[in-house]
Amino acid sequence: MSILLEVKNLTKSYSQEKAADNISFALEEHTSTALIGPNGAGKTTTLSMLAGLVSPSNGTIAFHNNKTSDIREIIGFLPQYPKFFPWLSALEFTEMAARLSGVEAKKATLEARKTLEFVGLGDAMKKKTSAFSGGMKQRLGLAQAIVHKPKLLLLDEPVSALDPAGRRQVMNLLKELQAETTILYSTHILNDAEEMTDQLLFLRQGALVEHGSLEDVRTRYAKPRILIEFEKLEDIQRFKALTPWELTVTGRTIAIDIVAEKVEMPAVLAILYKEGFLIRKVERQTASLEEIFMEVAVIQS
Amino acid sequence: MTGFMTLLQKEWKEQTRNFKVLWIPLVFIILGILEPVSNYYLPEIMKSVGNMPEGAEFLWPEFTGEEIFMSLLGQYQFIGILVIVLAFMGSISGERKTGTATLLYVRPISYRAYFLSKWIVLNGIVLASVWLGFLAAWYYISILFNSVNALEVFGFIATYSLWIMFVVTAVLAFSASFSTGIAATLSLLLTIGFQIVDSLIGEYWTISPWKLPFYATSVFNGNNDAAGLWWSVCITFIAVLVSIFAGVNMSKRNAAKTTV
Repeated sequence: MSILLEVKNLTKSYSQEKAADNISFALEEHTSTALIGPNGAGKTTTLSMLAGLVSPSNGTIAFHNNKTSDIREIIGFLPQYPKFFPWLSALEFTEMAARLSGVEAKKATLEARKTLEFVGLGDAMKKKTSAFSGGMKQRLGLAQAIVHKPKLLLLDEPVSALDPAGRRQVMNLLKELQAETTILYSTHILNDAEEMTDQLLFLRQGALVEHGSLEDVRTRYAKPRILIEFEKLEDIQRFKALTPWELTVTGRTIAIDIVAEKVEMPAVLAILYKEGFLIRKVERQTASLEEIFMEVAVIQS
Repeated sequence: MTGFMTLLQKEWKEQTRNFKVLWIPLVFIILGILEPVSNYYLPEIMKSVGNMPEGAEFLWPEFTGEEIFMSLLGQYQFIGILVIVLAFMGSISGERKTGTATLLYVRPISYRAYFLSKWIVLNGIVLASVWLGFLAAWYYISILFNSVNALEVFGFIATYSLWIMFVVTAVLAFSASFSTGIAATLSLLLTIGFQIVDSLIGEYWTISPWKLPFYATSVFNGNNDAAGLWWSVCITFIAVLVSIFAGVNMSKRNAAKTTV
């Protein structure tokens, strides 16, 4: 795999505040990368800089193996709330988008039709965009972003505004696109990131605080633990007395940190079995992406 | 100038589908017809509905066709310019505000093509409107008053057209530079406001874009200050070019302000 895009020390300051602070990362071709962070973490600013809308205060954005001087030629961009000219039909708009990105006239019409079919707007392509619902607008936004077959697809919260059905559809479309292009998308919905990502970038207050593959990040923040839910509340005290481990109690459930206590399932089960505890559930668990998100992107001081 | 033809088509579609290509000419044509017609029938209108005392006689001034052209120009200078400013003040700032510009700016367009496509379509509509208005007036003037020399009329229209081009360019450049409200205020100040200033203390100079309407009318009454006219034409041309240059650059600089 070769590197498509390399970002180095990307910074954007607005008077005092830094919307993006010294961000560096690289995107490999045909991978998808999720930009994760709470609202106001700098996701949109970062994407806008890559899209050529906002010029960075500092740092470089380099496309490898690419001769064009205008980076806008090889990207497709979908803003969080795409706004269309209400007096154009979906087909006209997509055609115009293709033409403006340098596709010649006849091919633009053809590609526009094909793309609109692909995103599921085949029946609505002659309709004015002013009559479109939120989900249709999002799909048209996707269509205009991919109609010229960009090398890099930048999507700002592509599914956040959609209902579950719409989200499912768009996620499936994106998965199909993954084969042809490189995708960088921002999200704060972690299920989406979990579903389709090769690389995670965590942003907090404009800075890149963690990155790596989903597996890497998972392992790093896994915090594996054993959870035991007891039938009787008083058993918690009894169990505590029997074991040397530090326990975290929530209701009827206790948690044992596997790494800190150097313990594994068999040892725990042995005690439970030997002492005849009545238990509802025993589980070995690792941190969910949501917990990692909270730890990495929100709480960490 | 990547995407120029596509942007030109987009602008034209926009102006057709929001009916500006229809109602702006209508305003100018209606004004152009009303001026000669109302002036011609004014004595009779006053007689029948004017509530004049019995036996009162008024001596109505005898207007010439040339004078009707001049008073129509007075209408265009106020109502016409107001229409131009209000119709086009948001041409660029509005696209930024609503965010429709975003999907254009992320494509490899040149801002020169972006600005000029608007400039050409807007000027086309407004100039055609002004011409149609004057032609309509000319027709009624030749029926109701005297026929005015064609060469004089064309000279008049040509000179005034440059002034209109100056107005349209200024509105567009302001729209590229500021938000819609500020753009409208500055446009009105620059066109109607300065026009008043020029008419109050303008006798101290002879060269300015705001003098162009005056020079246009001087085609009729013959008191030609040829040097003043030509220098004003030159100054206005330069002002238009500078405004275009500024508008292109401001469109580019303000691209980041578009709603994402």
